[in-house]
Amino acid sequence: MTLQILLIADSDSQLLACQALARFSNANGATITVNAIPRDGTPEGVLKALELIGTVWTLNAQALLADRRLDQFDAIGVYLTGSKLAEFRSCYHRNCLQQKRQARPLFCGFNGVVLERFEEAIAWRLGYDLICLNGPRDQARLDLLLRHTPFQQQRSVLTGLGRNLPVQEQWERPKRLVFAEQVVMPAAASERRHLIRILTRLARRSPEWEVVIKPRVAPHETTFHTVDSHISHTLVETLGSPPANLRLSYEPLAELLLNSRLLATVSSTALFDALDLGCRPVVMDDFGLRHDLGTPFFAGSGLLRSLATAEDLDSLDGGPDPDPNWLHWVGYHTDFTPTNLLQALKQLEHSSQDSRLNLNHPGYVVNAADLSTNQLRRGAEAAIRCRDYGEARRLLEVALLQRPDNRNISRRLAALQQSNRWLRRLALLVTPRFRL
Amino acid sequence: MKLALVCDGEPGLGSCQRLAVELRLLGADVTLISPEVSNEHWLPLQPLVAASSDLLNGLDAVGVFLEGAQLTQFRQVHLESARLRGKRPCPLFTGPIRPLYGDTLMADLLPRLGYDLICLQGEAQMQELAWLVRGSQSASQASEAIGLWCLPTEPLGHSNSQAPLLLVLDQQDIPPSPFANGVLFQRLRTIALDCPSWQIRIQPDAPLKTEGAQEPTTSLAWHFQQDLSPPSNLQLGQVDDLAIALVQSSACLGIASPWLLTAMVWGKPTVVLGDYGIRTDFNGPLFFGSGAMYQLADCVPLDRLAKLKRPNHQWLAERGWAIANGPQRLLRRLEQLVERQP
Repeated sequence: MTLQILLIADSDSQLLACQALARFSNANGATITVNAIPRDGTPEGVLKALELIGTVWTLNAQALLADRRLDQFDAIGVYLTGSKLAEFRSCYHRNCLQQKRQARPLFCGFNGVVLERFEEAIAWRLGYDLICLNGPRDQARLDLLLRHTPFQQQRSVLTGLGRNLPVQEQWERPKRLVFAEQVVMPAAASERRHLIRILTRLARRSPEWEVVIKPRVAPHETTFHTVDSHISHTLVETLGSPPANLRLSYEPLAELLLNSRLLATVSSTALFDALDLGCRPVVMDDFGLRHDLGTPFFAGSGLLRSLATAEDLDSLDGGPDPDPNWLHWVGYHTDFTPTNLLQALKQLEHSSQDSRLNLNHPGYVVNAADLSTNQLRRGAEAAIRCRDYGEARRLLEVALLQRPDNRNISRRLAALQQSNRWLRRLALLVTPRFRL
Repeated sequence: MKLALVCDGEPGLGSCQRLAVELRLLGADVTLISPEVSNEHWLPLQPLVAASSDLLNGLDAVGVFLEGAQLTQFRQVHLESARLRGKRPCPLFTGPIRPLYGDTLMADLLPRLGYDLICLQGEAQMQELAWLVRGSQSASQASEAIGLWCLPTEPLGHSNSQAPLLLVLDQQDIPPSPFANGVLFQRLRTIALDCPSWQIRIQPDAPLKTEGAQEPTTSLAWHFQQDLSPPSNLQLGQVDDLAIALVQSSACLGIASPWLLTAMVWGKPTVVLGDYGIRTDFNGPLFFGSGAMYQLADCVPLDRLAKLKRPNHQWLAERGWAIANGPQRLLRRLEQLVERQP
């Protein structure tokens, strides 16, 4: 049976995660539709690449939630930031309940390697029918977090870190190193200049090689993190004019990797793209193992190298392969692919909606419950539209406790507390509705 | 065994003091070192001065309870000074001096890798260290779980105050915005007015970073001081009275303070304020499984505090409470270290 799956994402990293998922799922008999929530600065190339894989919608979250076509899908995958993830799940389930529609299974996941705030991220994802994790490392961390809590029944599935269909054949590649830049690793301007100087000296020591810096985003594009100074500016600031064999490139990463021998990075998930595409990866060890750089994740990889002290790029090209035990541990292994997700979704079809995880337990707080004030207010507006005034009043009472200073919440609540229905209608008409 | 414990002010000071008492009871000779301590039981030495001092030569092991870059420097200075003098370096042990979990634990542990022994609190931290070093050059890092040694857990007595008392643990920079602290203060003020039979005491959980400085605007204490007419049952506690105030309290509430664990261990009804959700910078991952996270609204009226569910004992056990013989375990491991010395 072919599964019809909708994937929802907004920022470029999340769209890239969907792209990877879509590639594997299509190859395994699922049909993928991607809804890219419109957002300023999303790279055009990412959207075009998605169109080549499947149908692409561009509805905003509100329109999407109201769209009856959601019922056509067998499952919905949501790849948004934490609070939006929880909000989507909450609104979707509430809509289904109010409109007496059967909710489709929802799943969510991560965009590549999770370098920090894993526990916080899980606290936003609890309540999804399935959480996709990369590999045994993430599974162990999830189990430790949820052990002895009422949430230990949360379902998860290991979908791996493979991002491209692997390249099998090998060919003679040009002597080129791709450096996968990250906008905040390192974040300090002085360290970013140091990074550039290291790459420049390496390029000078390796005149037969070309060093290509692949910026995470073009200057006019945006990603999850805000950028103070684009790497192209840092390059000019630091060097004036770079050596002839060092340049920036905005070509798609996959194309660069297919035509390069080496990839170097501080801690980018691009390392796994390189492995897929037959390019030898190296993890830059010049800043040491630092939590803010995400480098401890790679400590057991066998790929750590100092680019500052490397003799030249030929010496890096002859380096060892990644440690297979580490690859398995982090999720880069044929045991962990989106095929596991498709199988888990098929199994979910047979489970009842009653098996959905209850997020409300005395003594436990999860971000995924209706916690954020905005979420509460949005929920209250939805309840008002359905004339479920009791529910709306309950939600606004909690929101007011969180934000006792907010006059709009108290006005809206006072309107709902009117016992005369005509007065209540009038008061709801004149008090400000919540809009994000 | 002859040991020294080195720290640089709070929170290491109290932790080392308590550990020294336990170790002495087991027969160890313990010297305490910290700068600017005007107390006969402490040697007032800067940590890096101590690291290169002859003082360490006569010791079996040194516990280095510093944080961040100081840890790497201490080890580097000690190893180098021993090498230059042609002497054997002293075995060094270390460990987190506060209850940590997740990212904050990882960041804390990184500069401790390479020490002869890392003392952790409980099974959960042991698990996280194992993941951190797995397959890496530090894979053989020695470690030992020695319980909640860095917190006061021994009961100090039981003497509830006459009027029920809610102790609100006030951290200097959590929440990190003055506005958020202001909102929380106003809510506490309203609760004090609504519950006149209760005393609410805002209790700083650590001394100010600079002696004599004013409380930061990101503390509840600052907002209390701005209030010209606070309700009579809303008070501000003195930092030195923290332990005794906790003994007297009927319930304890806080956001991320390590003293919340002490309150749980002492059997006080404890609320980890959950209104801000699980946030890494609020130590949320540590308290996620505690079973003691509530929203402030769940605690009103305050009489409900006595009826709240007790914390999750399995969670507390894995954070270190299950280990009752921590100092013995530490001494045993140190003896093994000393025996293995060439």
